[in-house]
Amino acid sequence: MWKTRRAEAEGKPKQPRTAIRPLRLSRDRTYWRETFEAYWYLLPAFLVLGAFVFYPFFSAFKLSLFKWNSLTPPGDFIGFENYRYIFHDKYFWKDMWHTFYYVGITIPVTLTLAILVATLLNKGLRALAFARTSFFLSYISPIVAMVMVWRWMYNTDYGLINYFLSLFHIDAVAWLNDPHYALPAVIILSVWHYVGYQAIILLAGMQNIEQQYYDAAKVDGATGFQTWWSVTVPLLSPQIFFVFIISLIGSFKVFTEVYVLFNGPGPLRSAETLVYYIIRSAGRIDTATNHTGRAAAASVVLFGIIFLFTIIQLTLTQKRVHYD
Amino acid sequence: MLRKLMLVGLAAVVLFGMAAIAQEPVTIEFWHAMSSGHQPNLQKLVDDFKVAYPYITVTLVYQGSYGALQGKVDAAVVAGNLPAIAQVYENWVTPIASILYPIGNFMTDAEKADILDGLVPSNTYNGVLTTVPFNKSIMVLYYNKSLVTTPPTTWAEFFEMSKALTVDTDGDGKINRYGTAFRPAANPEQFLIFLEQAGGSILNADWTEVTLNNAAGKAAAEFVGSLIPYSYITSEYMSDHISDAAMFVDTSAGIAYNQKAATNAGFELGVATLPAGPANFNSMIQGTNVAVFNTPNLTQAQKDAAVLLAKFLIRPENTVFWAEKSGYQPVTKSAYATQEWLNWVSTHDYQTQMSKQMLNAFSQILHPNYGDMRNVLSTGFEEIMRGVVPPLEGLESMAAEIEALLE
Repeated sequence: MWKTRRAEAEGKPKQPRTAIRPLRLSRDRTYWRETFEAYWYLLPAFLVLGAFVFYPFFSAFKLSLFKWNSLTPPGDFIGFENYRYIFHDKYFWKDMWHTFYYVGITIPVTLTLAILVATLLNKGLRALAFARTSFFLSYISPIVAMVMVWRWMYNTDYGLINYFLSLFHIDAVAWLNDPHYALPAVIILSVWHYVGYQAIILLAGMQNIEQQYYDAAKVDGATGFQTWWSVTVPLLSPQIFFVFIISLIGSFKVFTEVYVLFNGPGPLRSAETLVYYIIRSAGRIDTATNHTGRAAAASVVLFGIIFLFTIIQLTLTQKRVHYD
Repeated sequence: MLRKLMLVGLAAVVLFGMAAIAQEPVTIEFWHAMSSGHQPNLQKLVDDFKVAYPYITVTLVYQGSYGALQGKVDAAVVAGNLPAIAQVYENWVTPIASILYPIGNFMTDAEKADILDGLVPSNTYNGVLTTVPFNKSIMVLYYNKSLVTTPPTTWAEFFEMSKALTVDTDGDGKINRYGTAFRPAANPEQFLIFLEQAGGSILNADWTEVTLNNAAGKAAAEFVGSLIPYSYITSEYMSDHISDAAMFVDTSAGIAYNQKAATNAGFELGVATLPAGPANFNSMIQGTNVAVFNTPNLTQAQKDAAVLLAKFLIRPENTVFWAEKSGYQPVTKSAYATQEWLNWVSTHDYQTQMSKQMLNAFSQILHPNYGDMRNVLSTGFEEIMRGVVPPLEGLESMAAEIEALLE
């Protein structure tokens, strides 16, 4: 049945339905039994997702309608007052802007670099395994340890980055102490952190592209770039799409990099992101007052943004992603 | 005669019974956020407590950073499984003051009067001493001894010295070393100190009115504003910028880090009390207290045991031991008079100044929205010090935001 539906979806001619009624009944019984079995196998996943994803989500939405009280949680029902508060809070909008700024630059830059790195790695380097491991190391390094190293590299007086800039007679940049450079500092770090991960996934995709397509392109007299642009990139679209979605969701949730890099929200709160806003509102930074309802409202808004962007991406890219 | 014998017998039974109940083994948890360096010393205090009260077993539970501890305490309030005793910041427990077991009710007047005056208000809820101070630090003035021979004692001297010590050492038109430094976002307490020294406060005594922007507040804002050209501004620890300023206000708890950084940079670091403002030279006390919880998950024996532990921690010999080992300050007056402490001070020059400052200090207010007010001060003070807004404009803006938090 599934095969039939798939065939229909792919526009292939339907197989003639020759089965007589009793046989069909029997097939339906099998279908229902298999379906039941399938749900039975899926049950553990549903339970885990239900407990750790769906319940927290609906719980967060419920909390967003309350003024939190630790003694008698969730406290007093206040309708959409928490939403009204955050929408009138200038820092919510500043943090929203910072988040979009970060996402808007980090994702395209990382993805472009990852495609280039994957292409180079796919050229058949002798030390391919070493190169792959090297690029992947940045991703598997513990993020806090990695950010601590970057803190040193960003140091105004004795940091490695300013040292390299000085070789080109560029004045020292106060990466961590100048509001103009704070967010770019986070972006540079994030691009470095994620480019290896994305490149490895894209490389795996490239290595799975059938040689026949390249042969055909060669026969047609395509240049190297034409082959890359018209064969490699389109056939890599499922992997590109995957890393795009994953990095989009991850980028909207950026927090640790900021918190560890600045030990706070950056100078003049210039690197404060939406997740930082949520955690600060929940009283989890310094010894702030606990506004769980307000934090829940902001997290529901963030969910809405990510959901909306994912839907837009799915819709826009559906026709451009080639799975065969 | 028989009646008397029976009464004596009954009294003996009651007394033995009470003793038996009192000696019943009891175990309590003590949640804390003291990192690995402090843990052996905390364990030593708990071991000594076990010697004094053999029937009580205290389990130390390290909960991570202060933020993590706060989260665990909050969650435990909701889940109803609070420990008997925990380290807490004032504003964490202000909203849950009704479930605190008032330790002060089990202390003599002499014991209560022994706690440093500056620490009493921040441990008093609804007129009752409820928590007791534990690991307390004080903001003091650190200075580079190779640049500052006599530290400033007044605001005017502080300003003049900051100005004189701000220099462009290599003549490239950029300042290489500032007279002083501020960490406004991370440490808005620096502004609260100037406010206190000008005779001001965030709110009036009964918390009904914002007084931040009165005459004293304006004097404080104008003074910090006058220091902007001579101040290095950062959000990082001063130990990372030890050479960027000739003197700076920082917590006494940072002494080890600051001294190490100074030694690495090739100079000796001095410690002094803060320069005095128009009203006083008071400084702000930071750090946590210990609270005993009064919730149904705890037995009376556990609460009693926790009270005994809290009182034990502030005994002179224990608060002195803790101070010597941790770098925090003793929390009782009698501790400062012990021979042990006097010996310690005589071999640790900086402690003389820290002790003097500790006796001239104030604590944060217990307003339930203090955390939010601190956020407002943190952002507003940074905007002033980084020159985003003029000092008085910034002050008015902070006052307006704090006004909204009173509603």
